[in-house]
Amino acid sequence: MGMQAFLQKVLLLELWQGMWVTLKNQFRPHITVEYPRETVEFAPRFRGVPRLRKDPQTGEELCISCLLCEAICPTECISIVAEKRPDGKGKQLVSFTINYERCCFCGLCVDPCPTKPITAIYMSHDYEFAGYDRDAYVATREELVDGKPVKIYTR
Amino acid sequence: MFRTEMMDINMGPQHPSTHGVLRLKLVLDGETVNDTDVLIGYLHRGVEKLCETKNYHMIEPYTDRLDYVAAMYENLGYVETVEKLMGITVPERAEYIRVLTAELQRIASHLVWLGTHALDIGAMTVFFYCFREREIILDLFEAFCGARLTYNAYRIGGLPWDIPPGWIDRVRHFVKIFPGRQKEYETLLTKNRIWLGRTKGVGILKSEDAIDFGVTGPCLRASGVDYDIRRAHPYSVYDRFLFDIPTGENCDTYDRYLVRMEEMRQSLRILQQALDHLPAGGVMAKVPKRIKPPVGEVYHTVEGPRGELGFYIVSQGDDKPYRMRFRSPSFVNLQALPHMVKGALVADVVAVIGTLDIVLGDVDR
Amino acid sequence: MSDALIRNFIIPLVQVLVVLGVAAGAVAYMTLVERKILAFMQLRLSPRRVGPHGLLQPIADGIKLLLKEDITPARADRALFTLAPIITVIPAFTALALIPFSGGGSFNIFGYPVSPWIADVNVGVVFLLAISSLGVYGIMLGGWASNSKYPLLGSLRSAAQMVSYEVPFGFSIIGVLMLSGTASMVGIVEAQQKAHLWYFVPQILGLFIFFVSGVAETNRLPFDLPEAEAELVAGFHTEYSGMKFALYMLAEYTSMIVVACIVTTLFFGGWLRPFPSVSALAWLNFGLDKLNPALPGFFWFFLKTFLVLFVYLWLRGTFPRYRYDQLMKLGWYWMIPLAIANVILTGGVLLLLRR
Ligand code: SF4
Ligand code: SF4
Repeated sequence: MGMQAFLQKVLLLELWQGMWVTLKNQFRPHITVEYPRETVEFAPRFRGVPRLRKDPQTGEELCISCLLCEAICPTECISIVAEKRPDGKGKQLVSFTINYERCCFCGLCVDPCPTKPITAIYMSHDYEFAGYDRDAYVATREELVDGKPVKIYTR
Repeated sequence: MFRTEMMDINMGPQHPSTHGVLRLKLVLDGETVNDTDVLIGYLHRGVEKLCETKNYHMIEPYTDRLDYVAAMYENLGYVETVEKLMGITVPERAEYIRVLTAELQRIASHLVWLGTHALDIGAMTVFFYCFREREIILDLFEAFCGARLTYNAYRIGGLPWDIPPGWIDRVRHFVKIFPGRQKEYETLLTKNRIWLGRTKGVGILKSEDAIDFGVTGPCLRASGVDYDIRRAHPYSVYDRFLFDIPTGENCDTYDRYLVRMEEMRQSLRILQQALDHLPAGGVMAKVPKRIKPPVGEVYHTVEGPRGELGFYIVSQGDDKPYRMRFRSPSFVNLQALPHMVKGALVADVVAVIGTLDIVLGDVDR
Repeated sequence: MSDALIRNFIIPLVQVLVVLGVAAGAVAYMTLVERKILAFMQLRLSPRRVGPHGLLQPIADGIKLLLKEDITPARADRALFTLAPIITVIPAFTALALIPFSGGGSFNIFGYPVSPWIADVNVGVVFLLAISSLGVYGIMLGGWASNSKYPLLGSLRSAAQMVSYEVPFGFSIIGVLMLSGTASMVGIVEAQQKAHLWYFVPQILGLFIFFVSGVAETNRLPFDLPEAEAELVAGFHTEYSGMKFALYMLAEYTSMIVVACIVTTLFFGGWLRPFPSVSALAWLNFGLDKLNPALPGFFWFFLKTFLVLFVYLWLRGTFPRYRYDQLMKLGWYWMIPLAIANVILTGGVLLLLRR
């Protein structure tokens, strides 16, 4: 054993080095946030709950009831009822529900949505959920499109 | 006179350091482990069977939930298997971005391993330092694919999106700061005599035994076997990068620690090279909307952070697989646990669970 | 009321109540300080929701523990299960009676002199050692009475650990006793004042051994094997909940504080300010000594004790946990021989100097 190794062993040098690291870190800024009071910023692509949106220009609903999102959803949480338009061109929505209890936030439903340039269904940045019963998690068409953040606190 | 009795003790499924719902039935003689029974299945979800009812697009989110600590690799292995079955060539840029995200994921996964392993052995602060760096990686993933844990980041034939602007610089920044951060963990652990005492000579797995048990990944390499699928059967564009494969000599927990630490450094090397040579171009190959692979079967493996991650698909020409099977490294590595802890102390069992780096979602599927 | 009654009963009683109250408060806030310091080391926010900066957190915790359901496992030995935490708490608090929190004078309250310590016993240090080793019974009994496997393992570990570390714990003090020539806690501080030297300088080895064994005695990381959460879930108090659990915690933190107080008294000059003989540093008394010579002592005593406690938390924030056999090995192979060597060395040097 060399002199240095001997000193290292006797003087517990490596332990002191370790203690220096923790001491140093004590004066660094914290990296956590106090959640309900502050929130972190999301990346633009953040995948929150899937929702429907209207055309920002015309204010009309974008969905053309093509059922592609329903077909690809791996958890089968989207259910759409559509009917023929009265003017005979294409279909229109009767109801559109997403069961958030089953949704796994995979974002696959957005991929095939054919409306251009923005998709009718999109992954919003809403993520706060808490509820006392299960029905609250089944979002109807009205809740999906109105753009209000989903907050499910019912008692 | 005196009568001695073995004590059966159940470790888990609710136990602070069995990393989930692992249950070990230990037969103890005092504190010495005489026999171990690994009881699994508490997290069994039947994913393999479930996949038979889903089409090829829908399966990817399910693979996220296997090894949720390294979901990128599950995605990668799955999409590459389907691509291999269909003979799709993925655009080069997409391959490079896959390598980038996958190597970042390896670092993130090893950070979780290091943090929890150290926490089990009592060094709680390392855990928080590791998660500080993992957070940077997860932010990168969030910017890339929108999710932080279950990414669903690739698609069959490429990527759903190109990388967002500024992402490359953020990765470069990470590559720059990480070595300093890693040094911090090393100062706390590598030479610390308590850490050495807790890991040296603990959970020895000789190379023959490791091969017999089918152990792969860092656990195998720490036993001195130089086997890494990235080198042995290169997939994606791994044959273009220079990197070393660290191996151990003493086959113990400490060597496994050193091997994983070195792997993080090598991952940084790969990241650096991939960043420097990132080609331009599209990220999605031409694939039909409905994926219907030809009749046949395929087995494909990738080197996950825990070892050989294999996917076996039998196709009958439908849009759904006829049979889907995952070879999960955690499950296989876990089989070596009774062998590794025989004659050790209870505290060593915890160290060995930590060093095997199992994820219960991967064990039980 | 006769004078003797007041002197011998009422005053000590009031002193005891004051010390108990302060100690209970100190323990409560110790938990908060621990969480804060650990959080800062780990780059986290600490408890901050209850009261400003989380200052009311200990009170909330206390109320929570009091109101929690107090479960006694069906197969446990009821009497012992209840008794065990009490057995642990009593010696921890008793030890506080011997700590001189300040000195150099006494307070005059209603014409009666009141000293800043409860008792000054001429065998104080020995008594402290005796008392502090009683706590292990509570832990052993608690683990046994739970009639459960993890607590049993935990209590076995703690029995072995505390008994082995008792030896270096005692031996490491002997150097100090030789230097000061007294076993009274007050006497030791006064001897340090007379010698113009805090004993950690000649007794650095003794301090190291005493502190390490102290950490082991109080079951703190890196020696927290009896309650190693990663292995034994919670060790001997796995089955405890509510108030009984709180008593164990109370005992643990009180013992921590007691060990810190002993370290301060024996090695860091107790209530003395730095360089008590240098009059140029008299401003360190902040003029409080004009009011009463014992007042600045409190400040210095508590400051030093806090610094020692900080080292406790610092260790917890930095190190991994020893394994059971390694802990034993450390105790018997290193600590005890070192402690004996320290005794012999101190004795030899003293003999040479006296010549
Ligand atoms: S995010 Fe995934 S699970 Fe949720 S609705 Fe869309 S496709 Fe279905
Ligand atoms: S894919 Fe888009 S357009 Fe088609 S039904 Fe779903 S939301 Fe509507």
